[in-house]
Amino acid sequence: MSSPDSAILISALNKHYGTYHALINVDLAVAHGQKVVICGPSGSGKSTLIRCINQLEQHDGGTIRVLGTAIDADTDDINRVRQDVGMVFQHFNLFPHMTILENCILAPMLVRKVSRSDAEATAMQYLEKVHIGDQASKYPGQLSGGQQQRAAIARSLSMQPRIMLFDEPTSALDPEMVSEVLEVMVSLAAEGMTMVCVTHEMGFARRVADRVVFMDRGEIVEDGSPESFFDNPRNERTAKFLSQVLKH
Amino acid sequence: MSELNLSLPLAPTVARVASRRVIKRLLSVLLSAACLSMLIWVAWLCFEWAFVNATVSSDARQAECVAGGGACWSVIVNRWRLIFFGLYPFEEHWRSVAACSIIVVTVILSCVPALWTATRLGILWLVGFTGFYILMRGGLFGLSLIREEQWGGLSLTLFIFSASVLIGMPLAIVLALLRDTKLPWISKSTGLIIDTIRSLPLLSILFAFAVVLPFMLPDMMVGEKLYRVIVAYALYFAAYQAEIIRGGLQGVPKGQDEAAKAMGMSYRHRMAYVLLPQAFRTSLPATINQFVVAFMETSLVVVVGFFDLLASGNAAYRTAEWTFAFVEVYAFIAAIYFIFSFGLSQYGAYLERRMGLGKR
Repeated sequence: MSSPDSAILISALNKHYGTYHALINVDLAVAHGQKVVICGPSGSGKSTLIRCINQLEQHDGGTIRVLGTAIDADTDDINRVRQDVGMVFQHFNLFPHMTILENCILAPMLVRKVSRSDAEATAMQYLEKVHIGDQASKYPGQLSGGQQQRAAIARSLSMQPRIMLFDEPTSALDPEMVSEVLEVMVSLAAEGMTMVCVTHEMGFARRVADRVVFMDRGEIVEDGSPESFFDNPRNERTAKFLSQVLKH
Repeated sequence: MSELNLSLPLAPTVARVASRRVIKRLLSVLLSAACLSMLIWVAWLCFEWAFVNATVSSDARQAECVAGGGACWSVIVNRWRLIFFGLYPFEEHWRSVAACSIIVVTVILSCVPALWTATRLGILWLVGFTGFYILMRGGLFGLSLIREEQWGGLSLTLFIFSASVLIGMPLAIVLALLRDTKLPWISKSTGLIIDTIRSLPLLSILFAFAVVLPFMLPDMMVGEKLYRVIVAYALYFAAYQAEIIRGGLQGVPKGQDEAAKAMGMSYRHRMAYVLLPQAFRTSLPATINQFVVAFMETSLVVVVGFFDLLASGNAAYRTAEWTFAFVEVYAFIAAIYFIFSFGLSQYGAYLERRMGLGKR
């Protein structure tokens, strides 16, 4: 599994918050084009893990290689890696003082040095793809939650990343808006994007994931195909979690 | 029967409550009427003093004014040039007018949201300020040289205000960012500088820069007193404004910075395009307030020997023939300060309304 051409290769990762051990010897390899869903109860370290991949959180032990580059606190390297690793957040984090289009062209222009017209063309293409091309000149505050999250996905894609990280992208949405965001993610997966997705949407995991990783108390408890994960979990903690999540 | 007796006292109470309410209403109506008529009366007295009985003829002196019984605007008619221009040479007053207009136009233009990018504002102020400076000081393009100690009146007030804000604002941003860095010795020492300046009275800072500093610095570093005073004002403005900006930055949700980071944006870009614009928006009311205060505080330069608007006003009535007319002079100056400050705060209110509309 840990072949040298892994998109993401994490080994023996450790992370502490003070005395709290948030990640304990985590190993995870994600191949190019693979879709990995990470789930687990709250406080299990799944968000911390995904945020270590682009160094929004810094780890204090172990190694992370993303697209062949070893990652540490060195900012030059990390900014280069971040260009290729898009991230979608639970709370969208669109820039409220800019229109949707401006949100999408800012980083490509500043970081990738793309011309404004090229950046706008690319951004519009992605906005169309997530079905909000007609909202391009509005401000984030004027859109619904689902539209905002789709705009945030388009913003990430406008950087033309090779890996996409999703950190609970549907958790802050009203129930009726969850599916429109998931649809966009499904079509993105179908195009072969490498995706790491922290989510509680088990239906999405079953449909899209190549692998499901279950975390609890900072450790990876289970890592396998969706079928084996859902239909016959090996660990009792997984079974307990599943019975709670799938009850509804 | 006893039950009936118990309920009896209730009946008159209703009537009593009702009558008490009527009395209360009556009292409040009377009181309102009294206050209102008092206000109208005072307003009328002021109006009568300022307009009806006022003397405006430029030939009028104390005798005529006292006979008129109202304001003696003749003092303004005769002495307005001194109030507006101070000791600036008489035949060059047009330059002072032009310079003031340039600054006012620059200020008004920088209130237009379409110009709110660092480059546009930077260019605007560079052009406006250079124009002001060349007109005021001369020595270029055939304009005669007029040294800073001869500047005075409204143009000096505007110069000190705009120069100190112009230097103070970027300095405030730098101080705010330095205080928020992760390097403890930088943030601690910046914090110490800011808190020290904020704990000193402006007057003492002005004195230190105008009077004490020349003794401590080598001659070549001393420079004109006016510029030392402006540096003092700028430092004072920056110390307060830095804290306002820092407060604004703290109000920007952490996710904003993370989203920008996640796209590989550098610290400089994140600050310039994502965090500072939002911080300025949230701290706008406080910033406008700080501008108004800074404008008012320019009048303190009188203590270190400058003839700003207020000091020139003092000079305007301090001649034998006009000593009696100080109220008129002060009313006139107050009106000028009011126009600028009221304009600023109205603009602040407009901005708040504008931002309240939707954006977040």
